[in-house]
Amino acid sequence: MRSSYVEISFIELNARERARNVLDSGTFREILNPFERYKSPHLSQQSIVPQSDDGVVVVRGLIHGQSAVVIAIEGGFQGGGIGEVSGAKIAGALENALHDCENGILTLPILILETGGVRLQEGNYGLLAIAEIGAAIVALRRHVPVIGIIAGMIGCYGGMSICAGLCSYLIMTKQGRLELNGPEVIEQEAGIAEFDSSDRLMIWRTVGGQQRCAVSLADMLADDSVDDINEFVRVAIQQGIPQAHRSSKVEHYLSLLARIDPSQSLDGDGLRQLWDKVGIQNSEESMRMLESKWNRNMHSGTNSRGRTWFEALAGVARQEVVGAPSVLCADGMLANENVRYIAVVPNPDNRFPRARHGEVGIDEAWAIARFVQDAIKQDAHGMKRAIVAIIDVPSQAFGYMEELLGINHACAAAVDAYASARLAGHPVIALIVGKAISGAFLAHGLQANRIIAFDDPEVMVQVMSKNSAARITRRTIAELDEAALTIPATAYDIRSFATLGALDNLIEGINTDSPESEDLERVREIVVSAIVNTRSGCTDIANRLQSAAARINRAASIRVRERLAELWN
Amino acid sequence: MENLSFDFGTTKLVSGHAHVGIVGSGDLEILIEKSTDDQRAYVEVCTSVAGHMEIWKAVLDHFFNMHPYSIHIEINDFGATPGVVLLRLAQAMEVLQDAK
Repeated sequence: MRSSYVEISFIELNARERARNVLDSGTFREILNPFERYKSPHLSQQSIVPQSDDGVVVVRGLIHGQSAVVIAIEGGFQGGGIGEVSGAKIAGALENALHDCENGILTLPILILETGGVRLQEGNYGLLAIAEIGAAIVALRRHVPVIGIIAGMIGCYGGMSICAGLCSYLIMTKQGRLELNGPEVIEQEAGIAEFDSSDRLMIWRTVGGQQRCAVSLADMLADDSVDDINEFVRVAIQQGIPQAHRSSKVEHYLSLLARIDPSQSLDGDGLRQLWDKVGIQNSEESMRMLESKWNRNMHSGTNSRGRTWFEALAGVARQEVVGAPSVLCADGMLANENVRYIAVVPNPDNRFPRARHGEVGIDEAWAIARFVQDAIKQDAHGMKRAIVAIIDVPSQAFGYMEELLGINHACAAAVDAYASARLAGHPVIALIVGKAISGAFLAHGLQANRIIAFDDPEVMVQVMSKNSAARITRRTIAELDEAALTIPATAYDIRSFATLGALDNLIEGINTDSPESEDLERVREIVVSAIVNTRSGCTDIANRLQSAAARINRAASIRVRERLAELWN
Repeated sequence: MENLSFDFGTTKLVSGHAHVGIVGSGDLEILIEKSTDDQRAYVEVCTSVAGHMEIWKAVLDHFFNMHPYSIHIEINDFGATPGVVLLRLAQAMEVLQDAK
C-alpha cells in the first residue's frame, strides 16, 4: 500500500515500473512487450545473453487524460545501450507519435533516458537509430513538447545525450548525469590529467543534474520520488511547446561561449557564476567578442581532406563567411543550384586544445548550427538553397571543458539545424570524404536527406575508436576485429557501412587526396543529382530504410517499426 | 554463454503469462507461459555463465516439486546465484497467480 508519508524512489524502479508510474493509473498498455520477443539478433552471435524486450519499454496510455507514449530505457541491461532493435523501438514509437500529431491526435512523448549511448556490440546500427531518433524528436516537438527524464543511476550518454539536448524539457535528479562522452572514454582518449574517471565528486559537479539545471543545460531538478517526477511532467505539459527550444537558441549560447576562456581553469561553480552574470546580453556585442577570440586563433593552411574538398567544390581558397576558424562555410553555385558548403577542418591554434585535429568541439558544433540556421532564416521566403556537409571528422572533442560546457547540447544544436533545414525544404547532402565518427557524424552529416561517400580505405564510419571500444566492452582489439567480420555494423570501413543501406551513393575510383578536374566533375554531378532528387522527394530520412541493402541488413529495424504500427492503437 | 533445455513431468494446468526480472548483473529475466503440452513443462535457459548444467537442473527440480505446473519457461540469465533464481521463479509464479 502507498503511504502518503513515504515517497517512492523513481531511481529504484525498473524501466517498466517507471513507465507505469508516469502514466494515469489503469491506462498502461505495453506494445512490443517481452512476449513479442523482439530481441537483438546480434548479441547472441557475440555470446552475450539477450533480453526479450532488448532493454526498451514502449508504453501507450494517458497522462492527465491526454494520449501519450512513454519510452523507458532499462539501464540494467547492457547499460541501456542502443542497438538495432532497442533503437528501432524508440525511433518507431516517436515516428508513430509524429504520425498521430500530423493527424490531429496530440500524442505526448516522454523519454525516460538511462543509457550509455550506442551499444558498441552493434556499432553503426545504434548510430543510425540515434540519427533517426533525433530526426523524429525535431519533427515531433513542433506539435507537442518532448519531455526527457534523466533520473540515474546510469545517466544519459553518447548519442542519446545529443537526443536529450533536442528535448523540449529535461527533468533531472541530483543523481542523474548528462554527458556526451563517458568518463572512461575521455580518460582513454585524452588521458587521466584531462579527466579522472574515478573522481566521482568531480564528475557529478561537472555533469550531474544539479549542475546542469543551475546552468540551464537542463530545466527541472526533481527529487528522487515518483510524485516529484510526475509533478514536473505535469508542469512541462502545462508549459507546452517552448517559444524557442534550447538547441535552437544559437545566438544565446554563442554569447555565453564568448565569456569562456579555455586557457583558464573553470569548474562547475565557476561556470554558474560566469553564465549567471551574462544574463541577457547584447548579442551583437557578444558575437563581436567571440569573433575576435576566434580571429586570434586563426590558423591558415592546415591540410585535410575536408579542406581539400571544401576548396575544390566551393571554388574558393578562403571561406566567405566569418566564424570559428575550424568551420569553413561558403556559398556557391553548382549547376543551377545555390549551395552552402560546410566543412570542419583541423586548426592547431584552436582555443579549445582538445579540438585541434578536426574534431567537432563546442565552437565547431555551435558554428555549424549558426551557419545552417542563418541559411534557413535568409531563405525563409524564397528558394531554399542546398546545404552540402563535407565530412572529415575524426571524432567529437574529448575533454573536461567540453563536458562542462555541454558539448552534447552543442551537437544537438547542429542536429537541430540540419534537421530543421531538411524539414524546411532545404536539400541537405552529406559528402563523406574522410572519417565520419560518432557524435561528430551525428552532428555533422547524419541528418542529411542523402549521404554520399567515397569508396576509399581512409573513409570510415563508426561510433568509437578501437582502443576505447575495447576498454568499454572489455574485449581485445583482436576480438573486436573478429566480431566485425560477422557483424558488419561494428566494422570501420565504408563498404561495411554501405551494407546497412543508408548510403545513397558510394563513389568509386576518386582521387580523394588530390582530386583531378574529372574527379571533381563526377562528384559535382552526383551531388547535383542528389540535390535534384531531394527537391522532388520527402523531407524526412525514411528513405534510409527503403533501400535494397536496408531491407536485408536492417530487416529488424523495419520489422520492429511494422509491428509497432500494428499495435499502436 | 550457454543454452540449456530441460523438461519436467507436471500435473497442474495454469493460464496467463508472467514476466519478471532483467538481464542485469547478478540477475535474470524469466518469461512464463502456458506449456504446449498438458503434462510437461519445458524450460529454456540462456546463461552468461557456462558449465553449470547440474546446478540449473537441481534448482529447477526443486522448483517443479513445489510448482508442478504445465508451463513454458524462458530464462535469460546474467550470472544470478541459485538463490536469486529461485526467488525470481517464485516471484514469477506469484505474478502468474495474480494475473488469473
